[in-house]
Amino acid sequence: MHAKFAGSTSVDLSIEIAGMALRNPVLLASGTCNYGQELQSITDLSQLGGIVTKTITPQPRAGNRPQRIVETPAGMLNSIGLQNPGLEDFVENKWPFLESLDTQIVVNIAGHTIEEFADMAARLDDVQGIAALEVNISCPNVKAGGANFANSPSASAEVIGAVRRVTQHPVIAKLSPNVTDIAEIARAAEEAGADALSLINTLVGMAIDVKNRRPLLGNITGGLSGPAIKPVALAMIWKVAQAVRIPLIGLGGICTAQDAVEFLVAGASAVQVGTASFVNPNAGVEIVEGIRRYGDECGIQHIGQLIGSLQT
Amino acid sequence: MIDETVRILTNREVAEDFYLARLAAPHIAGEALPGQFVNLKVNAGVTPFLRMPLSVCDVNPDAGYIDVLYQEAGPKTQALCKQPIGEELSCLGPLGHPFTHPDKGTDCVLVGGGIGVPPMIFLGRRLMREGFDVALLIGARSAAKHLSDELLEGTALRIGRATDDGSLGHCGLVTDLLRQELESTGSKAVYTCGPHAMIEAVADVSREFDAACQVSLEEYMACGIGICVGCVVRVENADGKTEYGDYKRICVDGPVFDAREICWEH
Repeated sequence: MHAKFAGSTSVDLSIEIAGMALRNPVLLASGTCNYGQELQSITDLSQLGGIVTKTITPQPRAGNRPQRIVETPAGMLNSIGLQNPGLEDFVENKWPFLESLDTQIVVNIAGHTIEEFADMAARLDDVQGIAALEVNISCPNVKAGGANFANSPSASAEVIGAVRRVTQHPVIAKLSPNVTDIAEIARAAEEAGADALSLINTLVGMAIDVKNRRPLLGNITGGLSGPAIKPVALAMIWKVAQAVRIPLIGLGGICTAQDAVEFLVAGASAVQVGTASFVNPNAGVEIVEGIRRYGDECGIQHIGQLIGSLQT
Repeated sequence: MIDETVRILTNREVAEDFYLARLAAPHIAGEALPGQFVNLKVNAGVTPFLRMPLSVCDVNPDAGYIDVLYQEAGPKTQALCKQPIGEELSCLGPLGHPFTHPDKGTDCVLVGGGIGVPPMIFLGRRLMREGFDVALLIGARSAAKHLSDELLEGTALRIGRATDDGSLGHCGLVTDLLRQELESTGSKAVYTCGPHAMIEAVADVSREFDAACQVSLEEYMACGIGICVGCVVRVENADGKTEYGDYKRICVDGPVFDAREICWEH
């Protein structure tokens, strides 16, 4: 049953999550592929399972003052602050290009209030072709209410429930790692009607210039991403996988196919590649190829066989 | 723009803490224009993690190489200066918008400070080749940090140097030399790259003399291709809101900007 068949039939990477049919389990994470256009000239987006747009808010946001990026050991801090053109500009000017791509498009949304989340979801319900909404209740870089929803099971549930009631699109709740018990939040989102969960968003972090004793980031703190957070993300996927029945999309420091396979084995049904694309814009596509090679070498027929296959 | 595997041809110290790396990069050499940059992965592995943006200092499309100059200052530059001849690295480029040339016959002044000199070298050579009158003014802390005349060959008809300590050329700011140059020649096109305070001063002096000024900006950068929205600069809204309000991305909307567009922040 092993590699002797690998040459003839390759592993089937397709997977369905929350009603989304993905050609493979690799998506690009929100905030790391903007709205697709910049990457199109350097990578083949149609080789991916999908892409998740940079977060859209109801109104345009200028974002945080620079410095917005600090490199850290095996990772980086960012404090972009959800700079985005706002919902209407997105629908008018960004969506037509995204819709033309031969890959699934997940639209990531954030609001300051439950009503704003619901209004955005209702507006986007009119937009045909959206694969799913990813609800960002976990951005660490905005001061207003948005960041705090993910800290509270009841607030998370309220947001997810409000979005769920007004949209036909599948709803993915994006969870924060900056909480006491992520499983509790995950269960609340599931009960409120989330079709899937994506985790983790960035970890709150900070860096200081000791020469002048000032924070390096304009926003003082930021979100840590990159290989440095991968073990944390993996443990959270494993923990949440025990706690809920809906599918999980794993992210946090995935740079290689081996990283991605670890997330699948821990219980994720798909993965998102984020910060890795900043270093290698073709990382997502290379990870798809690497997962295929891994599957063929293991002699598995379908990628689903890997999901939650951790032997403990 | 492509991700090209480049090979180190030479990598040597050319002034105190300043290194010149010559990279075999046939594609980028054939495409790059003055003001554009590359984003180089200086090592394999995840520490350092991000690429390093480097201005293109010169190209030789026929021989298929580019030159980049860098100052040994942090983990990435330290990793790069240890890389041996023949090492292959991943290099994204060319990135960003180049400088635009002035109308024929316009005299040009190029002002470079510290590690902002490389794009001035590339631009000077290109402008000289096209018959412009070019003056190159360089500021650095001390004589030891100035590039040799040999490295600046063909970049300008006149080269002025300033140092903070008076060890070479004018003792004081490079903008003192700019003022003299604009007074004596009436040049109407100024190009600059260097520390933030210097380019802001260059922009001020240029405005005073009614000279057009293009600045090449630098900011902490992750991707270099516009997807992270990390390297932004605040711009004036003279002609209405930009796509994202007040901030533009230096990597794809710049790094070259008209100085009048920039909102100088302290």
